Amino acid sequence: MHLSRPRIGLRAVAGVAAAALAMLLGGTAAQAAPAPASQPAAVVQAKLPAVAPADLGGKKFTIATDTTFAPFEFRDTSSGDLVGIDMDILRAIAKDQNFQVDIQSLGFQAALSAVTSGQADGVIAGMSITDERKKIFDFSDPYFESGVQMAIAASNDTIKGYEDLKGQTVVAKSGSEGLAEAQKLAAQYGFTVKALDQSATMYESVKNQSAVAVFDDYPVLAYGIAQGNGLKVVTDKIPGGQYGFAVAKGKNAELLAAFNDGLANLKASGEYQRILDQYLNPQAASSGNIFQLAADSWPALSKGLWNTIVITLVAFVIALALGLIFGFMKVSTSRVLRGIATVYVAIFRGTPILVWAFLFYFGLPQITGVKGDIFWAGVATLALNSGAYLTEIVRGGLQSVDPGQMEASRSLGLGWGKSMQRVVVPQAVKISTPSIINQLVITLKDSSLLLTIGFAELLYQAQQIYAANFRTTEMLIIVGVIYFIVITLLTWLANYVDKKVNK
Amino acid sequence: MSAQTVTETAPVIDVVGLRKSFGSNEVLKGIDLSVTAGEVISLIGPSGSGKSTILRCLNRLEDPTSGTVRVAGFDLTDPKVDINEVRRHVGMVFQHFNLFPNMSVIENVMLAPVETKKRSKDEARKQALGLLERVGLAEKADARPSQLSGGQKQRVAIARALAMEPGIMLFDEATSALDPEMVGEVLEVIRELAQTGITMVLVTHEMGFAREVCDRVVFMADGVVCEEGAPEQLFGNPQTPRLQEFLSKVL
Ligand SMILES: Nc1ncnc2c1ncn2[C@@H]1O[C@H](COP(=O)(O)OP(=O)(O)OP(=O)(O)O)[C@@H](O)[C@H]1O
Ligand SMILES: [Mg+2]
Repeated sequence: MHLSRPRIGLRAVAGVAAAALAMLLGGTAAQAAPAPASQPAAVVQAKLPAVAPADLGGKKFTIATDTTFAPFEFRDTSSGDLVGIDMDILRAIAKDQNFQVDIQSLGFQAALSAVTSGQADGVIAGMSITDERKKIFDFSDPYFESGVQMAIAASNDTIKGYEDLKGQTVVAKSGSEGLAEAQKLAAQYGFTVKALDQSATMYESVKNQSAVAVFDDYPVLAYGIAQGNGLKVVTDKIPGGQYGFAVAKGKNAELLAAFNDGLANLKASGEYQRILDQYLNPQAASSGNIFQLAADSWPALSKGLWNTIVITLVAFVIALALGLIFGFMKVSTSRVLRGIATVYVAIFRGTPILVWAFLFYFGLPQITGVKGDIFWAGVATLALNSGAYLTEIVRGGLQSVDPGQMEASRSLGLGWGKSMQRVVVPQAVKISTPSIINQLVITLKDSSLLLTIGFAELLYQAQQIYAANFRTTEMLIIVGVIYFIVITLLTWLANYVDKKVNK
Repeated sequence: MSAQTVTETAPVIDVVGLRKSFGSNEVLKGIDLSVTAGEVISLIGPSGSGKSTILRCLNRLEDPTSGTVRVAGFDLTDPKVDINEVRRHVGMVFQHFNLFPNMSVIENVMLAPVETKKRSKDEARKQALGLLERVGLAEKADARPSQLSGGQKQRVAIARALAMEPGIMLFDEATSALDPEMVGEVLEVIRELAQTGITMVLVTHEMGFAREVCDRVVFMADGVVCEEGAPEQLFGNPQTPRLQEFLSKVL
């Protein structure tokens, strides 16, 4: 059962301030439902009073969903549209029952809140039907039977069932139903279970044979295999929870009824099975070599690359200004100004970028009550961090200019400012240029950390893609190459400008 | 700039009771010194006696601890004095040249006249070329300082200081950092300058040169003026044991 669904770690936090802060404080941002509902097959659907008409006359409903939970909802690699089992079923039902949907991709916890607070009419997000949740929601008929399944490397011919696992190690995701099931079987069949945090890590460790098998949610596993992640299944799925569409308790009864009617129609017409097969059947495997993958992913990656470059440049320009201001303060004769600059540098050099990213995006809005803007939160994070390093670079540059230069200029009757501007700064800039270029490159690389607050930069886009197609290694190689090319070009350009300006 | 329209013999540099300490180290212990317009004097003395410090107090690169310093009609110890204005009347040449490496030779010379709005760029260029001609380096106008020899650098530095047309020139060991074969060319420039009627204070270790060029020589030791007078008298008939000892070492 998917009480605590496998998550793509940090990203799940993106829209949820509270969860992020919880994480900062050391907790895990799980969206687990609290109750261990233990009678999945015995779930009885509440009989609903109103019987809906088969036609809702084109009425529009807002439906909330998760951001990325393949294969139920995720963004298509090339089009960027939300697709997946949930999305396709919902759209097919809407068409069948003649209503319209406005899909809001909010993140799991936020989607639930949106429905309870009335901002959305319904939620479909790979959500298990539990007794606990039934106190707050009215659920549809189950539209998906989940469970846990074991997978092994496609090349492994020795494991045919649980009995062949004796003495071996298997992996499962921390806190998941897969882990619970694996541990139940471990005693009986004599194997060891190791808990891991990331889906990608689990699959990789089976492929590189540090573990023989992985226990994971059946749909996630089936989808991964369908995408060609190099695994296969040899045992049946262990039946688990059921997924349902939900509305707020006592509300939107006609929508719920329409969903149930539409679902029944889809099942009858074969459309339902066709949708499942599309995502879970190996025939649909994503194909092509790494170059094909790169070409297919380019629309999404180029968006990410653009965001990376824009946020890096905007942040760096501000960082340069900060570096100049605080750098001059550091060489000033005023003890107060020097003190301020020293504190600034100490704070931002002495704390990780991630702390500031979370603070600016999640923490600040809670304090001020103003909704955080992810771009400017990212800019502030990078600019303040980079500005601290640039402060030291500027200070070092200014101090490395012979004091005799300032004296000569002053002795000619030029003021301090003019002397700085015409004599000292040009020499300091020339001395510091290599370090400044270096800092630009570091800022560009650091911008990838902003994926943790959900900023859609290059690495974030790559993660979105491999969360959906499981071609982790290849995607990482592709983004690695893109970063390398961009940084090389940027360095060339900067050196070229340097040569032109600092003759 | 009526400040300089004073009678021929009135002092253009008038230092009274000048004291200067760096922390607890008192380097100048009450200096009285006066220089009249057109006079060329040299400051000699052992290393560490405070010669550079006096010179630097004359354009306030160092702030006097106490005493008064009047230069070109300005009271430098007056906090309200426009020090940049004062410095335009007082050129300074440093031991290590301190040319600006980020500018060409002619730009070094043009910088102050242009930046202080004294001249347009064209005028400044014409004037700078004239000055470079005077120090024999017109053909190096567009060179970079790094392409010049030490002697050439110091001649450019002199041209640069002259560009503001100062009434007073201060030289702090202008030839000490030079290879011996280049000392002559710089001294030659200074010698010619001395004949133009400009007031000059030279800190130097070139005793022969001081004797030849200067109207007066001031001998310093331990932060005080120990002995002063005409060069023939000072070098030919030193009165104090300190000076006698000093001369026996350097001559
Ligand atoms: N900025 C400073 N801070 C501290 N002490 C200083 C400073 N400038 C000079 N002094 C000290 O003042 C004393 C006099 O220095 P000054 O440079 O005036 O001597 P000088 O007569 O020019 O010697 P030299 O012939 O070696 O150039 C020296 O003991 C020196 O160490
Ligand atoms: Mg000296």
